[in-house]
Amino acid sequence: MSAIANEMPRVRRPSPVAANLAPLATLVARRFALTARTPRELVVPLLTPVLFALVIAPALKKALHTSASYESFVAVGTMGLLIPLNMMLSGLGVIVDRESGAQRELLAAPIARSLLVLGNLIVALATTALQVGVLIAFAVLRRIHFHVTGTGVLWFVGAALLLAIAMYGVAETLASRVPRAEEYVGRVPAIGIVPWFLAGSLFPIGAMPLVLGWIAKVLPLTHALALMRYGLLNDSSGLHAIWKMGSPTAMAALSLAVVAAFAALLTTVSIRVFTRSALQ
Amino acid sequence: MVSTEERPAIDVRRLTKTYDGGVEAVKGIDFEVASGEVFGLLGPNGAGKSTTIGMLTTTLVPTSGTALLGGFDVAVDPREARRISSVVFQDAVVDRSFTGLRNLDLHAKLWGVDPAKAKTRVAEVTEALGIADLVSRTVGTYSGGQRRRLEIARALISDPRVLFLDEPTVGLDPRIRHELLDVIAALRAENEITILLTTHYLDEAERLCDRVAIIHAGQIVALGTPEELKAKLGRELLELRIDGDAPSALDILHAHGIAGGDAFTVGSTVTVPLHDRSSADAIAAVHALGLATAAIAARRPTLDDVYLRLTGASLGAD
Repeated sequence: MSAIANEMPRVRRPSPVAANLAPLATLVARRFALTARTPRELVVPLLTPVLFALVIAPALKKALHTSASYESFVAVGTMGLLIPLNMMLSGLGVIVDRESGAQRELLAAPIARSLLVLGNLIVALATTALQVGVLIAFAVLRRIHFHVTGTGVLWFVGAALLLAIAMYGVAETLASRVPRAEEYVGRVPAIGIVPWFLAGSLFPIGAMPLVLGWIAKVLPLTHALALMRYGLLNDSSGLHAIWKMGSPTAMAALSLAVVAAFAALLTTVSIRVFTRSALQ
Repeated sequence: MVSTEERPAIDVRRLTKTYDGGVEAVKGIDFEVASGEVFGLLGPNGAGKSTTIGMLTTTLVPTSGTALLGGFDVAVDPREARRISSVVFQDAVVDRSFTGLRNLDLHAKLWGVDPAKAKTRVAEVTEALGIADLVSRTVGTYSGGQRRRLEIARALISDPRVLFLDEPTVGLDPRIRHELLDVIAALRAENEITILLTTHYLDEAERLCDRVAIIHAGQIVALGTPEELKAKLGRELLELRIDGDAPSALDILHAHGIAGGDAFTVGSTVTVPLHDRSSADAIAAVHALGLATAAIAARRPTLDDVYLRLTGASLGAD
């Protein structure tokens, strides 16, 4: 029986930057390839928002005798359904990885385990951005009017991005806690759809009973939708319904801070829960 | 840091794992595995083998004790410990919708293998494991044996110092199992690699391992080479299938000095290590007692006998 000398590992040791960036790129490429192999995961979350934008919103407008601005209002509101739904469905990939994929191989790799969460997040963001783009394209084809400015686009992108990050935090956390895909899917409507009805997607939150209005004000989705409408429609009424202030920019900044805080908190929690569930 | 100090490839000291709820899966085990050694952890399901592998591969956090891989403490330097090791899991852990090649490439990139070296290494290991013609196919089309070969090939891409094989042949049909044992035997012959193998197939351990540790209820109850462990039962043993109560028959054998303290019963079978006594003499003595036996035979001890004597339970049982 012999013993080994304390020599350097045989494999190449990357620089500190590459130590995280290179494996992150590898994980992103892997997740993207897995996602691209199941295109229905890209298409299915689009169906409901597109249905709302193309069919339900025009029908509501006609039935309720509202103006063209209602179609614009709902078009942005549908993004509040698309983003949470798509990010929640992205969490299914985590369960598939754990149950029948290569998650344990990834956990045995010499990389920071938080990269596994971040790699999935980046791909989920990319697919959601694609879907939001498709939804906007459908809306434009439907002759829905947007009031687009450079600053407005930044508010919109910031709100959509942070909302997506926050929702992926919820998805990853739930996927780490729930043992089976069936249970996970059963919980998606409660998290991905119910808040949408409360967050001012189809009507202003001021139209709801007082208690529901207060609940709406603490939902990150309410803040994100108000910001997205401010960004794409130059409509600050949603922000005003939350903050009751005079400066739209100040209200937008406050709402962005709320969504950012949710995103940071939920991402931190998701990494912690994933790492803990992977390591017993 | 380069040092001329020599150390074991795996060094485990008083390693303990207690799960939430108080289940003590591993209870303060100690063992060392030298570089180039094939070390077997034997025991039934639930004995603590996979928990030990989990702690060594840093997917489980030890409750107490230390485990060093190539000098890296798995609790203090888990990434360094993972960098010098690879693991083949008991269940299939692959991306089935990817080709074999893509799975190999993924491992190479995550372990930081130089791309040029990775290409050469992929060619080498797929050839050595007989899957070079398969790797362009998606893994979902592989048979169980092919997939297991792919997983072993993947583990070797990063040229690990330490390779963990967790029940590598479980669930495979006998022909594929023997083919895979040939592959593992060739690995140790052709590579300077330390292998820690868990199994509850004793023929695998006898064939592949330099030393084995028998783990039972979270504790190592025997450790040594297969020959050393078997030698503790003598050159031969007597196996009696009793018509009636086996423990009572063992008491009679004890009382007449035919069985020593290391004789044991499993079901209706009494096993008596003979040590210095001849089998002919022992059989004659048993016949003289008039015990009701359905069968009586003398044979050489196996690792199974060692395990049964130490634990009173059959390998493979839960």
